[in-house]
Amino acid sequence: MTATQGRVRPRAIGTPLDRLDGRAKVTGSARYAYEQPVGEPVYLHAVQATVARGRITGIDTEAAAAVPGVLAVLTHRNAPRLADTRDAELAVLQSDAVAFRGQFVGGVVATTSEAARYAASLVRTTYDTQPHDSVLRPDRDDLYAPESVNGGFATDTEQGDVEAALASAAVTVDQTYTTAMNHNNPMEPHTTVAVWNDGELTLYESTQGVHMVRSQVAPLFGLQPDEVHVVSPFVGGGFGSKGTPHAPVVLAAMAARLVPGRAVRFALTRPQMFFVAGYRTPTVQHIRLGADRGGRLTAISVDAVSQTSRIKEFAEQTAVAARMMYAAPHRRTTHRLARLDVPVPSWMRAPGECPGMFAAEVAMDELAEACGLDPVELRIRNEPATDPETGRPFSSRNLVACLREGARRIGWERREQAPRSRREAGHLVGLGVAASVYPVFWMPGSSATVRAGAGGRYTVSIGAADLGTGTWTALAQIAADALEVPVERVELRIGDTAFPPASVAGGSSGITAWGSAVVHAARRLRETYGNAPPDGAEATGETGDNPATERFAMYAFGAQFAEVRVDEETGEVRVPRLVGVFAAGCVINPKTARSQLVGGMTMGLSMALHEESHVDGRLGQVANHDLAEYHIAANADVGDIDVSWIDEDDPHVNPMGSKGIGEIGIVGTAAAVANAAHNATGVRVRDLPITLDKLLGDPGAGNGPAVRRR
Amino acid sequence: MEFLRPATWQEALAAKAEHPTAVPIAGGTDVMVEINFDHRRPDHLLDLNRIAELEEWETGEDTVRLGASVPYSRIMAGLRTELPGLALASHTVASPQIRNRGGVGGNLGTASPAGDAHPALLAGGGAVEAESVRGSRLIPIDDFYTGVKRNALAPDELIRAVHLKKATGPQQFSKVGTRNAMVIAVCAFGIALHPDTRTVRTGIGSAAPTPIRAKAAEEFLAAAMDEAGLWDSGKPVPPAVAKQFADLVSGAANPIDDVRGTATYRRHALGVMARRTLGWTWQQYRDHQGSKSCA
Ligand SMILES: Cc1cc2nc3c(=O)[nH]c(=O)nc-3n(C[C@H](O)[C@H](O)[C@H](O)COP(=O)(O)OP(=O)(O)OC[C@H]3O[C@@H](n4cnc5c(N)ncnc54)[C@H](O)[C@@H]3O)c2cc1C
Repeated sequence: MTATQGRVRPRAIGTPLDRLDGRAKVTGSARYAYEQPVGEPVYLHAVQATVARGRITGIDTEAAAAVPGVLAVLTHRNAPRLADTRDAELAVLQSDAVAFRGQFVGGVVATTSEAARYAASLVRTTYDTQPHDSVLRPDRDDLYAPESVNGGFATDTEQGDVEAALASAAVTVDQTYTTAMNHNNPMEPHTTVAVWNDGELTLYESTQGVHMVRSQVAPLFGLQPDEVHVVSPFVGGGFGSKGTPHAPVVLAAMAARLVPGRAVRFALTRPQMFFVAGYRTPTVQHIRLGADRGGRLTAISVDAVSQTSRIKEFAEQTAVAARMMYAAPHRRTTHRLARLDVPVPSWMRAPGECPGMFAAEVAMDELAEACGLDPVELRIRNEPATDPETGRPFSSRNLVACLREGARRIGWERREQAPRSRREAGHLVGLGVAASVYPVFWMPGSSATVRAGAGGRYTVSIGAADLGTGTWTALAQIAADALEVPVERVELRIGDTAFPPASVAGGSSGITAWGSAVVHAARRLRETYGNAPPDGAEATGETGDNPATERFAMYAFGAQFAEVRVDEETGEVRVPRLVGVFAAGCVINPKTARSQLVGGMTMGLSMALHEESHVDGRLGQVANHDLAEYHIAANADVGDIDVSWIDEDDPHVNPMGSKGIGEIGIVGTAAAVANAAHNATGVRVRDLPITLDKLLGDPGAGNGPAVRRR
Repeated sequence: MEFLRPATWQEALAAKAEHPTAVPIAGGTDVMVEINFDHRRPDHLLDLNRIAELEEWETGEDTVRLGASVPYSRIMAGLRTELPGLALASHTVASPQIRNRGGVGGNLGTASPAGDAHPALLAGGGAVEAESVRGSRLIPIDDFYTGVKRNALAPDELIRAVHLKKATGPQQFSKVGTRNAMVIAVCAFGIALHPDTRTVRTGIGSAAPTPIRAKAAEEFLAAAMDEAGLWDSGKPVPPAVAKQFADLVSGAANPIDDVRGTATYRRHALGVMARRTLGWTWQQYRDHQGSKSCA
């Protein structure tokens, strides 16, 4: 095991190398899935259910089939039977049942995208409609506990005696927080180009993992994994929505089967992305905190409710961060689900931590207020010596350093402890803080091949993904340092199942897992062939196991600060400044890392102020299903975002000493903004997003009797 | 769908007469969205982009004749003095890309209660020059908006221009949105002081089925200012008067609850904007009076 042990000596690592794919992207020569040259493609357009629950009683395709250029109209009646229908989300067109509005009920293949789209609009479907239920309410009597929650975590946990501790606590907070349904909305829609040749399937796919797509799609069509080829060199964002296959890739592969040898191009329209590409469930979180007069937590209780779909369970791990974040002897967390007639929820950037830390970190702000304590100080007082959940030491935990540095950067000393006490030119001004956390996941199962070429050059191959995050660059830097050669001598090859298996770009684990495999391969090559390997010499390495994960709790931490200005009379909110300080181990490329963190915080700002998918309960669908109505922060909403990190040396996480930075940036941002808005106005908004009218409530109106002080 | 591309205004009028259901397309920033969403699928699109005179304006003694297709970005750059309210409103439309394409003719064609030009047009005062092969007529702006996304154009008519009174006093425009750009107004308010007639005109957006004026507020204010001799004295508007004006503006609105905001919020915000913009314009007026008397 010498190959995985020992740290890589950083040379290229830690330098702000420009994106190696930057030129190709800005000149438009980088080819995304839809743009792959595939001869003369044909086009697919989906037909969607117009009821939220029921059975199809009739589907008239005659008019669609008669449109010039139409090659095939797919329905559940003629669609290829799938070999495996256990995953109901992927069992596309396998029955007449409709489980949510917008579900695929058909597709049209035509020689032009216009003909396909037009013909799709002519398909007439009749239904036996059943009553549907598509709005999450926490007071339902049919909430249930899933077996486990996303990530394989326990559904409920309990330590000590929470009720007794809360009953005897000097100070308590008892509040309910809600976060809105959000849709991922990467710039590039979900796109597939599918082609069948000699019984094998090739998919040019916009995905977070080519091997993941292969392993999930192959059994659907009764294929061996090596009969499915997946290609995805560039991806225009995924944010989790491309982390598992959804219905579109299956529909495209089915359609392509009807026209063997011809490539079928399929891209979701923006409105369709609100139905069949996953989303962040809304959450309702009941939080109770108990503390002594000095703010030291004695009890933490989080009861989280979210929704899942009738056909497939997805259980957001909303409360997991509360299990490890702060010290407290008594603790309880639960997750409950409502099963609704809605599309299947899925991952969206930091599922679990992101909505969970909104609620928990606003509750901490409320506790600080109730104790008359500075919220930074409150968090420092509740630092645990070891992981409260497992008792293990942290491999590194630098939350306090992040809090102190962030406080310095934002000018925390200017913060008035009493809300609504700073006015500047008709605006109420406030500062707020929240903590960030994200686990370091060890994802086994990746391998990499390093091959020596002429002139001291090396080719490094791994079926990894670059979602626009910087993999092309950062992984090349890791390979260069592992081989102890300059980056220019490394040619990286990713995004294709022709290359060795790689875990999915999810859980902020990509660089960590793939990088470990690359390091292993490079060291094997050196062990076998020394510093001058012959042309064609090759070695393969794996991510393998990391025994240290059994001994340590591994997390990245951060602290986020917001300055918020609120128009006193109209409630208009502006966030001129966000400060994020992170402790995420070794930062492989400061330039791409900064972009990730700025992007995460921007998305967090957007979650705080704008993003909300409004469900129309009568129709059972998201009403604002396009970017005109589903608001994402515009450029003019984003002020100064100050991102930095502290030097952190973690010898346990992996040979690079790195932790993931893709998701932590969005964790805590919304809470920092809400806390700053409270500091500015005295109005405590517990329901995201923070809209104008919510901030015009009577100061303190929301506080009610729920904060108790003895 | 047939795409008609008249090269001259006369050809455009003839085409519209021949195909009264043809949908004119100027900047296309409303039309293309509607087609893209399949909200409408007209048999004919009537492209106005080759007609140069629609993108020009003429400044007369008292009015500006603003071609229907002059984009917002050129109004902002070139007409700040003559049409300050409209220039300010143009500033708040969408994004630079949209402002380079879209214009007042299209805003009037769509006649959405949320169109940002409307409050400024109502406050500034003017008329829409509508033309057909039958002839040309001026439709007073007050009579133009007839219902939700409906206007007074006859099926064979096109908008040639809008005739807008050159500002004789300060004008302001204010808009509340749920984000800082690219946003449909939660509500908007325009105000124009007309010292020449000693009147004040207003326009309200996104708070009723059509863009409207707050006439009771205007009349109240004119009377109160007359009575106190404020136009001559240039003294501050008494807070009680400003408040009553704001309340009357709120009362003029007939808003709904929707995803962008509640009716209550809209009424409240309109009152705030009315009071603020009155304060700003009156201050500008006083500053102007002051500088005149010093000269
Ligand atoms: C992303 C985006 C953001 C937007 N934001 C805003 C905003 O903030 N505020 C706002 O007010 N609007 C906004 N809009 C709407 C739109 O930009 C405006 O309504 C604009 O004024 C339309 O002008 P246009 O020239 O593009 O009109 P077009 O789309 O070409 O036409 C609009 C309508 O007017 C008719 N029409 C056009 N010219 C004539 C004519 N000469 N005679 C008769 N009828 C005519 C058309 O047939 C059509 O019905 C936005 C649109 C988009 C796409």
